[in-house]
Amino acid sequence: MRRRLLLVPATLLGALALVFAFLHLVPGDPVEVMLGEFAMPADVASMRRGLGLDRPLPVQFVRFLAGLVTGDLGDSIAFRAPVTRVIAERYLATLELAAAALLLALLAGIPLGVLAALRHGSAADALIRGLSLLGVCVPSVWLGPLLILVFSIQLAWLPVSGRGSLAHLVLPATTLALGMAAILIRLTRASMLAVLRDAHLRTAVAKGASACRTVTHHALPSALPPVVTVVGLQAGALLAGAIVTETVFSWPGIGRLLVQAIAARDYPLVQGCVLVVAVTYILMNVTADLLVAWLDPRTREDA
Amino acid sequence: MSARVKQSRLPIAFSAALGLLSTSCHGAAPTPPGVLVVALDSEPQTVDPRFGLDAGSSRLADLVHAGLTRADADARRVPDLARSWEYRDATTLVFRLRRDAHFWNGSPVTARDVQATYEALADPALASPKQGALAPLAAIEAPAPDVVVMHLHEPTPAFLDETGLAIHPAAEVHARTPPTGAGPFRLVESRAGDRLVLEPNPRFHGGAPAIRRLVLRIIPDPVVRVLLLDRGEVHFLQEALDPELLGWLEAKPHLTVTRRPGSSVLYLGLNLRSPVMRHRRVREAIALAIDRAALVRSVLGGFARPATGLLSPEHWAYAALPARLPDPARARRLLDLAGFPDPDGAGPAPRFRVVYKSSSQPSRRRLAEAIQAQVAAVGIGLDIRSYEWATLFADVRSGNFQMVAMAWVGINDPDFYHRAFHSSMRPPVGYNRGDYDDPVIDRLTNLARRTPDPARRRRLYRRVQRRLARELPVVPLWWEDRLVVHSTRLHDFAPMPSGDLRGLAAARFE
Repeated sequence: MRRRLLLVPATLLGALALVFAFLHLVPGDPVEVMLGEFAMPADVASMRRGLGLDRPLPVQFVRFLAGLVTGDLGDSIAFRAPVTRVIAERYLATLELAAAALLLALLAGIPLGVLAALRHGSAADALIRGLSLLGVCVPSVWLGPLLILVFSIQLAWLPVSGRGSLAHLVLPATTLALGMAAILIRLTRASMLAVLRDAHLRTAVAKGASACRTVTHHALPSALPPVVTVVGLQAGALLAGAIVTETVFSWPGIGRLLVQAIAARDYPLVQGCVLVVAVTYILMNVTADLLVAWLDPRTREDA
Repeated sequence: MSARVKQSRLPIAFSAALGLLSTSCHGAAPTPPGVLVVALDSEPQTVDPRFGLDAGSSRLADLVHAGLTRADADARRVPDLARSWEYRDATTLVFRLRRDAHFWNGSPVTARDVQATYEALADPALASPKQGALAPLAAIEAPAPDVVVMHLHEPTPAFLDETGLAIHPAAEVHARTPPTGAGPFRLVESRAGDRLVLEPNPRFHGGAPAIRRLVLRIIPDPVVRVLLLDRGEVHFLQEALDPELLGWLEAKPHLTVTRRPGSSVLYLGLNLRSPVMRHRRVREAIALAIDRAALVRSVLGGFARPATGLLSPEHWAYAALPARLPDPARARRLLDLAGFPDPDGAGPAPRFRVVYKSSSQPSRRRLAEAIQAQVAAVGIGLDIRSYEWATLFADVRSGNFQMVAMAWVGINDPDFYHRAFHSSMRPPVGYNRGDYDDPVIDRLTNLARRTPDPARRRRLYRRVQRRLARELPVVPLWWEDRLVVHSTRLHDFAPMPSGDLRGLAAARFE
């Protein structure tokens, strides 16, 4: 675990260097995009100078890293405000959405996966597997508008878009959660099926443990480690999925901000967003690793 | 049995929970009277007009700030904070200010505020992207509280276009925070990426707006914008309306669709560095191969007018030119004469191939395909390449294109022709991106930009337009209509061809 934590700064540096290089390889000039078609050459030159974009790329990258050490991610070119402030204004919204989606996915995915495994081969198992397949296949760009049509337009139960109350969270969180829940169902089912065949389960039953206790105290803890690991890995997909979901539901989060920043070639803002997403992703994976180590002591010895 | 009963209750419980959420938490209930919700497709990048250049920032500035002058529907400058102006001589412009204009904070707008605002914007230390526009300004004076005198380096009639810059209190012009304005509304709340909330400026010189609260909601998805409008959560939609949805919206009894001639022009930019495009006959053949009326019908649902030039008919300098009707037979003859015979007659082989660059917007892709089919009928092969905006714009700026579909939005002063077509205005100095070099245009635009007399300027720009219609460095396609869909509860709103939202200051919302 300690070795993995030591790798975190190197991972972040690698991610930032890659993003910096790719951003500058892509055609498009942030100043020209921002100033538009009728830009005066003097304004273009002045802004480029002011933003330090007239300096060699390695110098720009080193300046960015130097700022990073002091917590200064620079100023957004498009928003003309500190990157940290622009991101902070939206990060909470994305966290809120991702946390709600994660919760929904866990609440739906694990119980349904367990149920499918316990009713292996039954109609319920087939139905749950069918639903999970559908969940994996349905893209959020299609599901989002569909949910809006049904629950906001036809039934008028929930708001169409925006952020403000618990009701605003339901549809975007459901849209984001569905894909992850589907994966969790399939994984939990497969993992439970493997565990249910284990000798220690038969021993527990032979010792007179109730069916419920056998599942909750013996089978599930053994089946969960791979599920937790995948949840950690899926966090990245959750953040990536938030880009589409945030656009469809006008959710003012970091995913939408990243798309705007890329379109505007807002280098400091893209780098800031990538940094925040990468740190979040790493933190979620480290948390997942710690949880797996707690659930399965054998992995502690490996680490 | 009991488990079955519990299971059957689940959907009911779910529905009840949703119902509870919908009634207790969310804001789908009708907004209170006088609160108008406007949907914006993009977030204003800044609420500070000293720095904002994007469409969202401009729309916000229309509502929150005021300049000395503003553009009317014909792109003429009309009074805003200035009640009148005159040229004392060819390089001296004198403005007289209104005495009833006030900032939101209640302080009066004075000549000193105007002077300080212009000096700050021209100051490199502020690093405003509007600094370059003030290059013709040599000095500015405030000899009396309501008199502003501007001295220009040389006669520059187009400078009047720059007098729409938002004015701020002198004490705030260098502030790091967004300064106070003198527009009809004031910004009271800003939620990043979500909404901006405005309230009336009770001391606005045009009279306090009747709309009690204006909410600008940022809704990037076009379908969601329309759904919100249908549901009554949004009351006003102007930007980025899909023509395909307009028929559906027109049928809604609670909505009004207003269509007004717009000034944004879509055109095909041609690069005259290309060995093919440098032939005037080829450019004319392309113009004759395109059926604008059919494109307007099929691509824009009829919500545009086929263009004869870049300036729309409402513009004060517009030259009425004959419409260029499609004539494929004549186009083929012109191509033959230009030295590009059809290699296989009616066969599939083209006379030549041209790369057509376009943005990746679905409507632009559809347009590209329609034009590809039309020019193919005269033997021109188009290879379509679509890019996201930043990449496309980088290619256009660097002259890396043969044919490109672009739009010009917000043309006010026709001095624009100088920067777009004068031979000295190739990028990065100007935006003569197609490398057009015409001594006649050079002479006419040079003369027109130094001519203070409006009638003479108009005559000169009409000659410019006639010349460009003959030489075709660009092929104008159409002027897009300005479409506004709003609630029938909104009254007295007059849309502007430019999309300016200031009209909301005079509107009522029940």
